[in-house]
Amino acid sequence: MSKPSDLIQGTLDLLILKTLSLEPKHGWAIAKRIEQVSHEALQITQGALYPALHRLEHQGWIRARWRTTETGREAKFYELTRAGRVQLEKELAEWERLSNAVGLIVRMV
Amino acid sequence: MEPGRWWNLARMRFSSLVRRGRVDEELDKELRFHLDQQIEENLAAGMPLSEARFAAMRRLGGVAQIQEECRDMRRMNYAHDLVQDLRYAARTLVKERGFAALVALTLGLGIGANSAIFSVIDGVLLKKLPYRQPDRIVRVFFSSNTYPKFPLNPFDFRDFRTRSRSFQALAAFTRSDVQLSGSGEPVRLAAFRVTAGYFDVLGVTPALGREFDQSDEVPGNGNALILSDRTWRSEFGAAPDIIGRKITLDSQPATVVGVMPPGTEHPGNSYHALPYGNSVDAWRPFTFEGDPNDRGSHFLEVIGRLKPGVPRAQAQAELNTLLPQIASEHGGYRGWHMLAVELYREIVGANERLLLVLLGAVGLVLMIACANVANLLMARATARQREIAVRSALGARQSRLVRQMLTESLLIALAGGALGLVFAAGGVKALVSLLPADFPRVDSIHVNAAVLGFTLLVALAAGFAFGLVPALEAARAYPQQGLREGARGSTDTGLHLRLRSVLVVAEVSLASILLAGAGLMLRSFVNLLRMDPGFRPEHVLTADLTLPITEYKTPAAARAFEDSLITNLSSAPAVKYAGIGTDLPWTGYDENIGGFTIEGKNPPPGEEFHGRYHAATPDYFRALGIPLERGRFFTKADNQGAPQVMIINSTMARFYWPRRDALGARIAFSDTPKEKDWMTVVGIVGDVKDTPTSRGAEPAFWWPALQVPFVMNNGVMSVAIRSDSDASQLANVLRREVHHLDPALAVYDLRLLDQITDANLASARFAFFLVGLFATLAVGLAAVGTYGVIAYSVGRRNHEFGLRMALGASRWDVVRLVFRRGVTLAAVGVTVGLLAGLGLARVLRSLIYEVSPADPLTFGAVALLVFSVAALACYLPARRATEADPMTALRAE
Repeated sequence: MSKPSDLIQGTLDLLILKTLSLEPKHGWAIAKRIEQVSHEALQITQGALYPALHRLEHQGWIRARWRTTETGREAKFYELTRAGRVQLEKELAEWERLSNAVGLIVRMV
Repeated sequence: MEPGRWWNLARMRFSSLVRRGRVDEELDKELRFHLDQQIEENLAAGMPLSEARFAAMRRLGGVAQIQEECRDMRRMNYAHDLVQDLRYAARTLVKERGFAALVALTLGLGIGANSAIFSVIDGVLLKKLPYRQPDRIVRVFFSSNTYPKFPLNPFDFRDFRTRSRSFQALAAFTRSDVQLSGSGEPVRLAAFRVTAGYFDVLGVTPALGREFDQSDEVPGNGNALILSDRTWRSEFGAAPDIIGRKITLDSQPATVVGVMPPGTEHPGNSYHALPYGNSVDAWRPFTFEGDPNDRGSHFLEVIGRLKPGVPRAQAQAELNTLLPQIASEHGGYRGWHMLAVELYREIVGANERLLLVLLGAVGLVLMIACANVANLLMARATARQREIAVRSALGARQSRLVRQMLTESLLIALAGGALGLVFAAGGVKALVSLLPADFPRVDSIHVNAAVLGFTLLVALAAGFAFGLVPALEAARAYPQQGLREGARGSTDTGLHLRLRSVLVVAEVSLASILLAGAGLMLRSFVNLLRMDPGFRPEHVLTADLTLPITEYKTPAAARAFEDSLITNLSSAPAVKYAGIGTDLPWTGYDENIGGFTIEGKNPPPGEEFHGRYHAATPDYFRALGIPLERGRFFTKADNQGAPQVMIINSTMARFYWPRRDALGARIAFSDTPKEKDWMTVVGIVGDVKDTPTSRGAEPAFWWPALQVPFVMNNGVMSVAIRSDSDASQLANVLRREVHHLDPALAVYDLRLLDQITDANLASARFAFFLVGLFATLAVGLAAVGTYGVIAYSVGRRNHEFGLRMALGASRWDVVRLVFRRGVTLAAVGVTVGLLAGLGLARVLRSLIYEVSPADPLTFGAVALLVFSVAALACYLPARRATEADPMTALRAE
């Protein structure tokens, strides 16, 4: 099980922002979505997820709102702000650059 | 970034700070939702309910940890922590009231002393002078090597005023008191004659009427008067119609033309000086009397306002290019140049050094107090080791522990600061009452906002200074150790003790520096007290009189008055000797030096012979107790018809007649003397210096009062009466005799000669008293610090001492062990302190009298004193060490 601390620093932020870019989600849904899409390769612990959400919120990249889920429960939904979209673009570009570079080295050696 | 985002952020941060409960609640709710989702998932996967719950909880991990981390992410923790730390600190301090009070008191004394001295510095040095753009005001002097600040001749001044381009306005002033007569007893007004535009230079406009213009300077027009606000109120009942009123000054009619607003401060002057401040009662116009080509007489003090953008140096350079022009038109002035000094410098003068030295001294005291408090805190940290260990075992991070302990220190420091302000308020009152009478700007010394800010700053700085090392040291302790060791001391006490020893060494060395300073001041003060003033100040009453020139028009009239007064006084009971002279010792001096011719000698080219000139009646010297070295005093026979004679002082005799007997030598006040112009030296009297701290006496000579060819000193005369017993009883006798001769004359400046000498020592006494007080405080604090550390080390080694004695060591051996530690600390401290003191003492050079800044006696005495105090601090711990019980020690093994 790979913990987020094994991820490259800041990658969790990218994953959260990317996950939220389609639609607002609550914490549980974010974690589930990341697990599903990565075919369970990435498991997000709550101990990492919620502090990250609060940090992103305090940086003004995401916004939180209490809403009712399909099952009729109150949950805190997070959505991207405009600044968050800009930040996501930035982080995506950065990630591309980094992963290409790492890929090059890994393939060459 | 869009403003909306900022607004959101701000709202969020505010709510996470203020509505912390709600934010935590929401987080709870959010996590519970997550947990429920997990449980549902587990149930869906087929787990039974209890297992599903347990698995979900396990997966979630420590809720408290997540909460804490989320809070960290919200970044408002500092503020929360601060509130928490403050609460915790306040609780701790209340619990340890005695300790907190001791520390706050120590700091309060240190901070209070600093704030009090700062109040004086703020009032005297920092506050702007109460003039318009005061930094553009300069004082202008004539200057030579012998006379660095000499007054100007009126016509020279007038030439400078006309020709100079650097000044927006240039004015001159000279002391000239007047007697205001109206109803009742005549009143003496402290007054100045000033040229046109004098108040324009200062930038003060009259509250009523006008200031003088150049038409007032024309001889014959000088009978206008400008009143100070105080005189206007006290003498004229603040009459609104005062302008144009006819009054009587020195028995002459005069007209009031203006009233100055309150707070028109006199800028201070040197000749017949009035101190800076609210010291002048009235101003009269200066009139340019006499022959403009006769430029020998120098008595005008000059003040100017620089044009905008003209630096002081440039103005001085311009005056120096003008001087040779003016000199070439009228001859003379070789070796002289012009000097322009900022008014602020001139007013603050030597007091700046004194105040900065005092600030340094209190700064040292505060540093010692801080070291002492740090020591106390470290001692307390030992006692708190368990508490700290428990907290860190429970997960408090080291930085958090340091922060918390610093908060405690800062809280104590602020309490100390508050206490310091109370002390400062009292201290400032005491300081002001101790200040020498002629200290400038005493009125502007208050505990104000600046002092408040300074106190707060000093308190915070002190809090950090004494709090940081103990906090770091305490937080470094490892939890396991602290928990495990329980009752016995920690293994880390070695480092702890070393740190505390360093603090004590620092305290001792700082105290040694202060003691050395105080020692030098004490030696200097004793030297001043023991110095032979050159006169005998006991049982002498002095007073001043001014004969109005308008009433006593001729020298003969003045001489007749003097003669009758002396005759009547001398026959009064209890009067031993009564004399009249142009001035009194140590009451300021007139730099006006007569140029004269010495029979058979030629002055060096470009220079002339000169000396301070005075006049005296026969018993003047006896009344003051100035000794006759050779020859004779004046007698009644030295009058108009008799051959001209003079008395010179010892310095003048040595200076001009180094190789021959000055008695019988002749001088004359004429470049081409005729036989009748020569005056013969008939007596040589002892030297009296200008001030007690002057390097030496200036050459001086006296005319017999009965032979002075003109009215000297504008008719101002000083009376000195020596009595057998209490001279203050003579005041009424003097008043009666004066009014018997002239009921309109005011007798003023009635003082005992003792009081005059005392006032001259005030500055030295003030400096010595304060530095001594601070040094005493410092030594006391350092002694307590030393005691604390020795006592701690004895307590720690009690067991060892017991063992030693069980193994046969004598009590004496144990005592020696304890003392060795104390004396070592003291030795290192004294060595460091005295070396630093040797370097620092140089700043005292201008404040001490006839003591070398490296005076071996002082430094030796300081070392001895510090060792004695250190030994004293070791005494109690040493005694306790000898009481260590060998049996207990053995049993414990």
